[in-house]
Amino acid sequence: MTLSALTKPWEAMSYGFLDGSAKRELRRKMLKSVAVPGCQMPYASREVPMARGWGTGGLQVSLTLVNPQTRVKVIDQGADDSVNAASIRRFIARVAGTPTTMDTLDADLIQSRHRIPEEILREDQILVLQVPNPEPLRPVQPNMSIARQMHADADYGRMWLQLYEQIVRSGRVMQGASYPSLVHGRHVMTPSPIPRWDVPKLNMSKHLTILSAGREKRIFAVPPYTRVEPLVFSDVPYKVEEHAHLTCYRSGTKGFFMNEIPQDDSTSAYEVSDSEWGVKAIRQRESEPVTIGETWYKNGEMPE
Amino acid sequence: MLTVPTPSVSERRDNQTFEALLWALSRPGRPRTLPEAGDIPLLNALVDRECRVHAADPLLIPAVLKTGAAVAELDAADHIFAGKLRDLTVLERIQLGSDLYPDDGATLVVHVDLNTGPTLRLTGPGVDGNEELQIGGLPDSFWQRRAEVMRYPTGFDLFCVDGDQVIGIPRSTEIKVL
Repeated sequence: MTLSALTKPWEAMSYGFLDGSAKRELRRKMLKSVAVPGCQMPYASREVPMARGWGTGGLQVSLTLVNPQTRVKVIDQGADDSVNAASIRRFIARVAGTPTTMDTLDADLIQSRHRIPEEILREDQILVLQVPNPEPLRPVQPNMSIARQMHADADYGRMWLQLYEQIVRSGRVMQGASYPSLVHGRHVMTPSPIPRWDVPKLNMSKHLTILSAGREKRIFAVPPYTRVEPLVFSDVPYKVEEHAHLTCYRSGTKGFFMNEIPQDDSTSAYEVSDSEWGVKAIRQRESEPVTIGETWYKNGEMPE
Repeated sequence: MLTVPTPSVSERRDNQTFEALLWALSRPGRPRTLPEAGDIPLLNALVDRECRVHAADPLLIPAVLKTGAAVAELDAADHIFAGKLRDLTVLERIQLGSDLYPDDGATLVVHVDLNTGPTLRLTGPGVDGNEELQIGGLPDSFWQRRAEVMRYPTGFDLFCVDGDQVIGIPRSTEIKVL
């Protein structure tokens, strides 16, 4: 063995910022998380030039997956143009030379903070969700060692108790975002704080979803065609946010997840949360050529 | 202004290999193409000095040592390159992880002959309905023994390599031999 065989040519920076050993660890953990859907796998979570809790988990997954041909879309609460999304997108493009896009249909890799786009994702697309708190059991069991044992035993009784208490106290399930969901009939996961509106999009989807929490150092995944069932009682059906009847005041599109914008006269205006969907609706209204994909929700309803 | 780094040859190959592996494991039974034939691309994309590797083929050992990984016995290895399987010893001794840490289950890479041998019907996550395919070159009752030793979520994850084609079979996949 020669010295040159043990080294590699000098580089100013590793491709995609992360070094080889960080990428290999993430690759191993991603494979394991796909093999056991919804089960939280610990990983090292390296330093990236961004504060923990701002999407470092998702960023590390994206940086491992990208190559110079991967077209990247980054969204933050549905918007492509918010600070978090814009800086992550620019960072990935800068360290990996990837083309970027805002169009859901053009993207190969979508990194998202807390929303799933309204257009149906294809088989060749990968969705990476940033996760602040990967542990669905934390509200009922703050000790993470005991929580791990509960996952191992599939001991989810307290999750049901929590939902039951909410219904008794408030008349309905109060859990808004990160609604606990049973994956492949075995592990309960938090689908990251996506609204209840988005949880059915993960069920039997065509695309692969990887959820990564950089601060908490855990990664889990929902492979394609995997059952994701929100925890519900048989006599209290799962309800999504009542946004089906709302109309976006900017694009006029109706039947999608909306952002509420308080007005001076104490009423509310609504704008569609998936910003690129709104842009497309406006372009279409102005008769510009635009490709519109099929959406998960049709007329505000998720087809069975 | 920063110049954009370009991937080196090995970086590009590892990235392509992983893309194939991730796709293959998320869609069990559907083959993907590796950038190079054989075990070497998998070894380079996944294994480094944090791993314990068992290689049945002594000719693979230098490549394993080059990654920095420790060479280990079957029951201590987290990545097993078993080559062509002749008997079921590997299934008796392979690490399956625990209910607490299912990720301690090993990754097993075997060489197979695709499109020959018994027809298998796959169901489970990643499979839309069911998927049928033929995998030959494995010992008799391999699939039966696999189902017997694993209890979900513990288990091992399998990559079947035939030349540059790879098929991923995660522990979550249920297999019926037709």
